Amino acid sequence: MDYIQLTRDLVEKAQKLGADAAEVYLRTSRNLSIQVRDYEMETIEEAASVGIGFRVMAGGRLGFSHCNDLSAKALEDTIMQAIHFAKITTPDEYNVLPGSTVFTQIEGLYDPAIISIPMDKKIQMAIDLEKLAMGVPGISLSSGASFREGDGEVFIANSNGLSGSYKTSSCSIGVGVVAEKGDQKNTGWESCTRRFFADLKSVEEIAAEAARKALELIDPVMIPTQRAAVIFDSNVAFSLLGGVISAINGDSVLQGASFLKNSMDQAFASPLLTIIDDGRMPRGLGSAPFDGEGVATQKRILVEKGVLKGFLHNSYTAKRAGAASTGNASRRGFTTLPGIGTHNLYVEAGQHTPEEIIKATRRGLWVKEVTGYGINPVNGNFSGGASGLWIENGEVRHPVKGVTIAGSAAEVLGAIDMMANNLDLNRSTASPTFRVAEMQIGGK
Amino acid sequence: MGGDTYKVRDIPRRKFLELGIKGSLITAATPAIITQLLSCNQGIPPTSGIHTDKALLDKVIARALASGGDFAEVYIENRISRQIVMEESKFRSGLYGISQGAGVRVISGFKTGYAYTDEITPEKLYRAAEVASYVARNGTPTAPVNISPAQRESFVTVKQPLGEVLDEKRIEVIERANQAALDYDPRIRMAMVDYYDEVRSRVIANSEGVYLQDELPLLFFIVQAMSDNGSARHMARERLSMHSGFEMFGEVTPEEVARRAAREAIDMLAAEAAPAGIMDVVMENGWGGVLIHEAVGHPLEADNIAKNIGAFTGKVGMKVATDKFTMVDDGTLPNFRGTINFDDEGTQARRNVLIENGVLLGYMTDILSAKQLGMERTGNGRRESFRNIPIPRMTNTFIEAGTDKPADILASTKKGLYVQSLSGGSVNSVTGMFNFTCREAYLIENGRKTTPVKGATLIGSCMDVIRNIDAVGDDLDFGPGICGKGQSAEVTAGQPTVRIRGINVGGSRA
Repeated sequence: MDYIQLTRDLVEKAQKLGADAAEVYLRTSRNLSIQVRDYEMETIEEAASVGIGFRVMAGGRLGFSHCNDLSAKALEDTIMQAIHFAKITTPDEYNVLPGSTVFTQIEGLYDPAIISIPMDKKIQMAIDLEKLAMGVPGISLSSGASFREGDGEVFIANSNGLSGSYKTSSCSIGVGVVAEKGDQKNTGWESCTRRFFADLKSVEEIAAEAARKALELIDPVMIPTQRAAVIFDSNVAFSLLGGVISAINGDSVLQGASFLKNSMDQAFASPLLTIIDDGRMPRGLGSAPFDGEGVATQKRILVEKGVLKGFLHNSYTAKRAGAASTGNASRRGFTTLPGIGTHNLYVEAGQHTPEEIIKATRRGLWVKEVTGYGINPVNGNFSGGASGLWIENGEVRHPVKGVTIAGSAAEVLGAIDMMANNLDLNRSTASPTFRVAEMQIGGK
Repeated sequence: MGGDTYKVRDIPRRKFLELGIKGSLITAATPAIITQLLSCNQGIPPTSGIHTDKALLDKVIARALASGGDFAEVYIENRISRQIVMEESKFRSGLYGISQGAGVRVISGFKTGYAYTDEITPEKLYRAAEVASYVARNGTPTAPVNISPAQRESFVTVKQPLGEVLDEKRIEVIERANQAALDYDPRIRMAMVDYYDEVRSRVIANSEGVYLQDELPLLFFIVQAMSDNGSARHMARERLSMHSGFEMFGEVTPEEVARRAAREAIDMLAAEAAPAGIMDVVMENGWGGVLIHEAVGHPLEADNIAKNIGAFTGKVGMKVATDKFTMVDDGTLPNFRGTINFDDEGTQARRNVLIENGVLLGYMTDILSAKQLGMERTGNGRRESFRNIPIPRMTNTFIEAGTDKPADILASTKKGLYVQSLSGGSVNSVTGMFNFTCREAYLIENGRKTTPVKGATLIGSCMDVIRNIDAVGDDLDFGPGICGKGQSAEVTAGQPTVRIRGINVGGSRA
């Protein structure tokens, strides 16, 4: 089926049925998931699907509906449901659809090779990965290894003449293992996701990392409650910084539900913190030519040397704020209205190697796992559970499990005093390792 | 965050047990024929239905077992959902969705093959059967038992079916809640009300000859209230959810839900920094049971036990908790959010006592893990939708009521933390390490609840927490939640007021 034409036709249909403005968002997807355990295939799942979401406006009011039945009758009925809802909601002058633009092509979003690789080879990769991880001394159990792939296409059209589409793919491979010692158990999980099959890390590298994570926290020692330096490993930095991103979400800012609502152009964090959102990175997992409502993506500095430089907007919040959309409309499939989200989000690398940071730490916790919700975006309060390695006089002394770390966003982000250079841009959220000079740690 | 981590999202407590008792007095609704459910209130005829041609299902199952395998199943689902959101006193959106499809599963030995399709046509079902049978390749065909209707008891009653409710009524409850939140106190600066309902119709047919169909209505109502006094700000949340018709709002009014959220938002404006370190925790009755859901419930789901990696592996019959601790998962509580009638594999829901007076009695299983462990099916095989394979999941999970008086539990705690409600948390089901974030908590000083404190994290290990519960109240209550384990599932968690000695609290001051 010609989905470009279909989306355009359905926009017209919605207008004929009574919508003043209409947007049609269609997404196809295909997924394959293979799980192996104890060197045998355990589960294989495969499917392809397609669905459509309709956003319509009538008299400034908004209605939305979705369905995964593409028969003409079902589509018309679903559009009618959206129009019906648009009659009972409240008019809102900020309900607008973006206009048409020319989209920049982004290199490397789709890899045609993935689907052509034989199933048996994919299964074997997962088995090899599990074998390698289980072969590491001290690793005794496996939670399994997996290979996953997916591809899909997005089609969007609206009544302002906007029409666009793009195709993406991704594949990932991962393994989970358990290290045991007496009554102790510790898990280690590592995976790698890429747009292109050829870009996947080697199974050797992934296996070694999973095993290292499982082994490194065996024989933990509880530490006393105290204030000390906390080093956030690059793997966990975003469990802290996620709250900053929620707090610069245009919706939260406009609703007053953000600790950063009045902080534009103000320094709220250490000069070592620069955060960038890039929707156009070639082969980026978060890259796309346009956002969830068809606005061209950008590369933007959100935080520059500790100073807040930008909020995240979709068309609705942009109109309300009197700003332009920043291309941050996000869409979780075809079943939801556009929200606000980031693309490839990263913290700019600093000068130090992670080893230099450890060496420079007299007393501190090198955090490898963080649990909890990160910084609360409404009031900036931070509290989380943590595990990692205890550092004294620049050396790792022993593992630590089951402690807490806490502070206010201002205290924690303002106290970042060392930023490492180990930035891995192959993730959609990435940060180098960094150190917070001092935080409250809760222990015995 | 690794592959063994499960989490649960934030839901507050609600007096659901009372509702359930009232609900059981209502005559049981006759399960409607699925096509009837698809009619909607705007006079638009149904666009699609579940075509339950039994002969076709038999053929699909036979095709799924054509190259061998021990078990095959077809699961067909249709879900009609409505969501209306009000923020800042404006209706931001109304959403309507239809989602339907079918999944075919084959189990061969301990291997699972699964494929699904959005289009419920013979060709697509056969194709799904062939893909799913990949796990049994090169075997010889297995003969399935022809399907025939099975009997299952229902625990969901409906007085006002959601499909017959006018959208104007939905709008009305939202507006009432919004107004009540704003009227509570001038420091309530904003309210957000999220109304969701759905009717999920299921057809399950398998090679054991089971054929079942039913519908489950679901209502989910969330009120958030944000307070701001210029120097402090708190976003409070209260939720109400049941498998029920619209009569739910007659049992608990929208205003009551809103006032609870507003009260929390105002009370927490006075919150001070929480203390850090290990201390005694008293957890108020209700949604606090989510701590046990995470810390003990997930590790008792049989999939990780079957993999031999779960925290409770090999511990059946052993004393794992204090004498006062009895824990139950019960998918039959009338109209509760976690109630399922039968699970998504067709197994009758039931009351499963998991730990009785401290002794581990069993795990929660689905068909596959029951087979792997040589145990009974407990009715815990659940799936988010036709796009997912069933896995062992909880339903309504709670600590059974004890005999201690809640007031005595507090009065006998000299110093510690009184947790009135939790947000959500997560657990690593292999190691048993869990964490939770407090939504509303107070210091305990000399046996009394005193200063409110800011959202602190609670962490610990599942084994320690159930050994350290030394007081269990007589005031069992429940709250609704969303549980995530790769797929989401609606659950309730419950507990009476309990005291846990020595939990690590993550405050920002010493």
